[in-house]
Parts: sequence; C-alpha cells; structure tokens
Amino acid sequence: MKLTGSVKLVSQLLDLPILDKDDRWCGIVDDVELEGGPGKPTLVAALLVGPGAYSGRMPNFAYRIVRAIAGNRIVRVPPSEIAEIRSAVKLKCTAEKVGLHRTEDKVRAWIPRRGAL
Amino acid sequence: MNPLELTLGIMTAVGGFVDISELVFAAQAGSIFGYALIWAFAFSTVGMMVFGEMAGRVAAVAKQPVFNLMRHRLGLKLGLVTLFASLLSTLITCAAEIGGMGFILHYLTGAPYLLMAAASTAVLMASMWVLPFKWIERIYGLLGLLMLVFAAALVAIRPPWDQLLGGFVPQVPTGLSSKQLLQFCYFGVAILSAVMFPYEAYFYSSGGIEEGWGRKDLTTNRATTTVGFCLGSLLAITILASSAQLFSPALVGPQEPGTTALEAAIPFGRAGLLIALLGMLMAVGGAAVETCMANAYAISQFFGWEWGRHKKPWLAPRFTLAWIACMLLALAIVLTGVDVMTLVEYAVLFSIIVLPLTYLPLMLLAGDKGYMGQYANRWLAKGLGWTYFVIVCLAAAAAIPLYLLTSGGQA
Repeated sequence: MKLTGSVKLVSQLLDLPILDKDDRWCGIVDDVELEGGPGKPTLVAALLVGPGAYSGRMPNFAYRIVRAIAGNRIVRVPPSEIAEIRSAVKLKCTAEKVGLHRTEDKVRAWIPRRGAL
Repeated sequence: MNPLELTLGIMTAVGGFVDISELVFAAQAGSIFGYALIWAFAFSTVGMMVFGEMAGRVAAVAKQPVFNLMRHRLGLKLGLVTLFASLLSTLITCAAEIGGMGFILHYLTGAPYLLMAAASTAVLMASMWVLPFKWIERIYGLLGLLMLVFAAALVAIRPPWDQLLGGFVPQVPTGLSSKQLLQFCYFGVAILSAVMFPYEAYFYSSGGIEEGWGRKDLTTNRATTTVGFCLGSLLAITILASSAQLFSPALVGPQEPGTTALEAAIPFGRAGLLIALLGMLMAVGGAAVETCMANAYAISQFFGWEWGRHKKPWLAPRFTLAWIACMLLALAIVLTGVDVMTLVEYAVLFSIIVLPLTYLPLMLLAGDKGYMGQYANRWLAKGLGWTYFVIVCLAAAAAIPLYLLTSGGQA
C-alpha cells in the first residue's frame, strides 16, 4: 500500500545520521519536510537538520532549553543531493555545499592545530 | 586476519577489562563472601561478551556505532533521555577512575591525593591529544597487563582450588542473615553493573569504526569479545579469589584500592606491590580514557558531529571539545573532595539503571536484517541477548532498593 510505504519512508529517515560524499559525519535527519496536497502525491521536499527542527518533536520546556543552548538554526537538504539511504543517509555532495559544516568550522577555529600524531 | 593484530587485540582487551569498580567490588566481594560471588563475575562476563560481540558486529557490518543507530531506533525523546542518563553515569564513572588514579599515585609518591588526581588528568588529556586511537587503546591496554601479577600472586599463595572452582557454580551461601542476604544480592547486582558498564559497548563499537572494521574483522570481533573478555574477567576473579584467601580470614575489608595491591605484596614483597600499583594505575587510567571518550562518542554520534580520534583533534572539533569538557568535569567532581568509593558506588548504581536502555536498541539493531543482512542475530545471540536483557532489567529495578536497604553494601 502506497500510504504505508511513504509513512515507513519517513520513519526510516528520521534520526538517521548523514554522511557527505567524503564520508564525513555532518548531521542527523532531525525532521523531514513533505510536499503535496489532497489528490497529489506526497513527496519528500527536504531533510531538515539542526536544533530548530526539534520544534514539535519534544516537549516545549525541553525545546526552550535546546534553543537557548544551540539556537534554532535549520539546514534544508534537498532530496536531489541524496545518493543513498541505508543505515545512514549518504550525500552526493560535500557537507559545505548544503551548509552542514558551519558550526563544525566555527568550533574548529578554537582548536590549536599542533601536537597530535 | 593478521595473527599479530588479533593477539594484540586480545591482549588489549585483557589489559583494558578491569577498572576501578571491578577492583573495588572484586576485592570486597572476596573478603566478605569468600569465593561465593565468583559465579556473578563469570555470569556477567558472558553477558558482556554477548552484547560486546553484537556492538562490534553492528560496527563491522552496518558501519555504524551504537549511539548513531540508537537515536534512530528510540526516537528523539527517548534517545535524549538515554543520552542524558548514559552521559551522567559515564561521567561519574570517569570521575571514579580519575579519583582512583589519584589514590594510586598518592600511594606511589606520597604526594597529596587531589594533586595527583589533577596531575593524572593532565597526563591523560595530553596522551589523548597526542596519540591516535590505536596507540591510546594499545598503550593503556598492554600496560594494564601488569595486572597479571595478581594472577601470579594467586598461584603463589596456593588457594584451595576446589573451593575456588566451586565458586563458578551459581550459589547463595547458606546461613546468611536477611541483612547479609540483601548485601549478597547488592554485590551481585554491583558486579553485574561493573562488568557490563554501558560505556564499554559505546567505546568498543566506536573503536571498531575508528579502526575501520569491516566484515573481514568479524572473526577478530568474536575472538576479542570471547577470549579477550574471558581472560580479562579471569583477572578480576583472581583479585576476588586472593581477597577471599588473604583478607576474609583476617576480617580485612578492602575499602580502598591500595588494599587490593597488598594481594601481590604478600607473596612478592615490594616488587609485587609496585607492579600491582603500576598495573592498577594503567588499567584505571585506560578506563578513565575509555569513559571520557565514550561520552564524547555518545554526544557526537547523537547529534551527528564529526568524531573519532583516528582523526587529528581539529578535524573533529566538537568531539575534541566534548572529551576535554568531560575530562575537566570529571576532575571537578573529584576536586570537590567527594569520596572515591562513594563515586564508585554511584557509578555502578547509575550504570545498572542505564543498562536496559543501552542494550535493548543494540539487540534490536543487531537482529535487524535490513541493516545486518545475513549477519543479523541468530538463535543463540537472540536467546542469550533476551535472557540477559530480562536479568539486567530485574537488576536495574532492584539496584536502588538494595542500595538503600544495605546502606551501599554495608551489612
């Protein structure tokens, strides 16, 4: 049944880790944006990544804490950039291209680049 | 399969198996109940083998560590609860390990305990910064093999082998009062928790990914989790048995880690004491690194950050900040002056409560043919997994009442 298939698709996508084309971890599927309407097929419009996508997935008090700590940024990953979905979502592109490495890059600036083998 | 790699892997597992909780509870269990709790170690070790093998297999086949897939299985809300609970229990465990190192260095040098705890934290952090994963794992694991002096000490004191071997048969000693019976149950639960700490599954599976495990490494995984864990557990059992032989008749209660080292000092003198303390230092230091990295793995994998110490620290920046923060927080807990033995008890107590949340998703993942294909759990893994899961749930439910009723294991 198509309805069951699409519902299962979302449940299989939610909370999967995301790897970019260079096998770098670059986020988790925090929510899935769907498009469609009555009489039209429902399609995945984008994978939503970032603390802003937790809204609606957790109690309000918990989301307020998350927002205070991590902000409410959301990155949209279009389905055209998805290479495959298995135990992780593999992208066709680099994390930078879809904006999934901004926080990692900001934090990297604080870490000294010396002394490690 | 490279035999040298396999041997090194097994030796590392042996040296890295024992931590401060096992040292404390093995010695105390032996001094109070003689050989009667050896079976609890053996039984818990089989459980750790079952779940460790699953964690390694998931890492090798699905190429995913436990926490990545745990969130997918449990969902965001329950996943966050699991994450928070495991971070807390592992942080307390890490603090207990650092406190243990402080104690051991205090015995070795005579310098103040808190200063030694801070110094050992600095050395651990430096080693984690400088060394890549494989070196960290091997150095602490292999130097932890100095603990084999406890096995030699047991042979040297000539224990009653028939009684010792009889300890492997599940039993409850006869003639115990109801308070002593509760204490016996408390120690049984504490040993189960100390052997099956949840951080071990996170660290082991993440280590598999760090080392780039694939299907060809399934034999290494099986050998490490069966032979390595079994030999590591036997090492803990030798501590229990020596304690039963030496401390129990003298009514000595090994309340501090240093007392355990006397097991090697009695047959081998100063040299034995020194080797035992150094072995304990490396084993506990290795466990501190494992707990700290396990927390960094958990938080990084849960939120999808870059992670791994096979990469330079600046290539996984949030992971690096996470392990630095975890180590400093653990040190801060120790610096409050809280008693190390209290930390060990809390670590064991919190961990047993987290265990069902850790092992259920792992078992579901390892049995999922969608992820695992032909390597999904078969009847033996399923049967053992569910049996241990039920036992872990019962132990988790009993842990707090037993702790309160026995005032933390006191008769």
